[in-house]
Amino acid sequence: MIIETREFTRVEGNGKAEIVIEGNEVKDVRVKIVEGPRFFELLTLGRDFWDVPDLEARICAICYLSHSVASVLAIERALGVEVPEETRLLRELGLIGELIESHALHLYLLVAPDLFGYPDAIRLATKHGELVKEGIALKAFGNRIRDLIGGREIHGINVKPGGFGRWPGREELEAIEREAKALLTVAKRAVRLFSGIGEYGGRAELFVATDGYLTGDSLVSNVERNFHYFERIEERPLVYSFAKQSLYNGKPFLVGSLARLLLKAESLTPTAKRLFEENRGRLEAGWVSYNNLAQAIELVYALERAGEIAKTLLDKGFEPENVPVEAGDGEGIGYVEAPRGVLVHHYRIAGGKIEYSNIITPTAFNHAMMEGALLWEARNLYGNAPEDELLRRLEETVRAFDPCISCSVHFVRG
Amino acid sequence: MKLGVFELTDCGGCALNFLFLYERLFDVLEFYEIEEFHMTTSLEGRHFDVGLVTGTVSSHRDLEVLREARNRSDYLIALGTCATHGCLQASVELPLKEKLKAVYGDEGNPMRALDPKPIVEYVTVDLAIPGCPYDKNELFQALIDIAKGIEPVRPDYPVCLECKLNEYECVLVKKGLPCLGPITLGGCNAACPRSGLGCIGCRGPLPGEVNPAGEFEVLKGLGYDEEYIMRKFKTFARWEP
Repeated sequence: MIIETREFTRVEGNGKAEIVIEGNEVKDVRVKIVEGPRFFELLTLGRDFWDVPDLEARICAICYLSHSVASVLAIERALGVEVPEETRLLRELGLIGELIESHALHLYLLVAPDLFGYPDAIRLATKHGELVKEGIALKAFGNRIRDLIGGREIHGINVKPGGFGRWPGREELEAIEREAKALLTVAKRAVRLFSGIGEYGGRAELFVATDGYLTGDSLVSNVERNFHYFERIEERPLVYSFAKQSLYNGKPFLVGSLARLLLKAESLTPTAKRLFEENRGRLEAGWVSYNNLAQAIELVYALERAGEIAKTLLDKGFEPENVPVEAGDGEGIGYVEAPRGVLVHHYRIAGGKIEYSNIITPTAFNHAMMEGALLWEARNLYGNAPEDELLRRLEETVRAFDPCISCSVHFVRG
Repeated sequence: MKLGVFELTDCGGCALNFLFLYERLFDVLEFYEIEEFHMTTSLEGRHFDVGLVTGTVSSHRDLEVLREARNRSDYLIALGTCATHGCLQASVELPLKEKLKAVYGDEGNPMRALDPKPIVEYVTVDLAIPGCPYDKNELFQALIDIAKGIEPVRPDYPVCLECKLNEYECVLVKKGLPCLGPITLGGCNAACPRSGLGCIGCRGPLPGEVNPAGEFEVLKGLGYDEEYIMRKFKTFARWEP
């Protein structure tokens, strides 16, 4: 017998799951990504490197800037371009804005209705209007940063190889410093709210992240440091899904907020570090549902870090100057932490044109883990709870990963 | 009035952009009740006064969702360039079989993928709002107009006009950048020239009296090769100079 869930709601993109039952036991769970294929790597082949980050941004709207930055980093590495500190800091500020926008959307508009038993944030707002408005305020702030650094709230083209189309001015950075400070209280409340979330989705054992907090030169995990994705992670296609599955040393693994906190807590800002320490025991248990709590702690980190970056740039002062980029040959990988985990863009460039392109997104890295988490929940609840409760819990478990399904469906074979 | 939002295959941005109305979302909710919108609610509706469809038809699942949305909506809006012109994912000019093979290997087509196409190729729509993403103010105004029984105004001017009104420096003339502003439908408030970069044409061709052949010659004169220009023209919409 197969129980099929409806298409997941309150997630980005289209997917569902089927639970395979044999002899009254849950044998298997398959996560079927039904979002159509999107062919992004094929699209970039033969293109001029300069135009590629703008196109790759369109892989995902929730995290377009992560794609722009990963693409730009890969191009700069391939063509041997070094950018100055202020350019790196401004890119990080953009990624911080994206983290705020994405986490606020996920926690307040997609997950919070579950905590209070509502079908959506609009109905939730009838009783808890302040909460929803706080989430919207955070999200709007994150988007103001994306607009400033990325050029638009969605799919801006301002992040370019060598620098930016338009650089932010002093007053704009001062406003960011001010607003980040003002919203910190709101984020701290979010940590209190989401520390009340239950334990579900099973416990992850393997975690992978980039070596820096939001960008890196290589990957790290809880069993080794500094490796490249192609050395350890294997991707395989599935007949029942438009997304492929990735295994690390043959096993499912988790990327995202929880992985970042567990692997890189030493990089956190003071208040975020304190909140992490307060919750460390529970986070270390590895329950998938605690990814939500980890995201709330990251909101605090992001607001503190946004203020820090703005202040550093204002104190130091900077000249809006781009590094010239010459068309040439080379190969490069851009590693970025998108809000929902590790994102890899890998290109080979010949004469300024893309001749090889490989992209792996966080949801693809998490796909196998997601099936494991659903299997755990289904085995736990099947026969012990009514079917509608089982299905609801499966949907909540998928949601904990904050999946970005559109992102996951465009691989090309390397 | 009852509102339904349906997502086919896309980046999620056109559904998300609706939420980026922030406080004004509550103004929309004065007129509309969201009956179905899977990115934001677990509810499912039956009949809609207004249906918004985003994305391309890229699988049989998408086609079924689209037909259902059309059948159950009185007024249907194709929202965003995927829905109106196919956008990037429809721009890879290879037979579907070859594309699938390059991506998934030799498994054939078990998930019943279709070649990505805009929804306007399958159903008639009452309004098309292009843009990657569309301008959220345009959608806001259209929804309010429809609620009040007024037919929404459609922009009919190029991005160039909005660029001039904002007094941005012309990136085509002054910097020689490949800017599609002169032949692209306006409505984005010249988002790319605002960053000092060329318009990438994400709102698709300006209908009516427009001169893509002239644009082609201008870009050639600036030293861009023909293949590069053609790829630019065919990236977001299948533009014929």
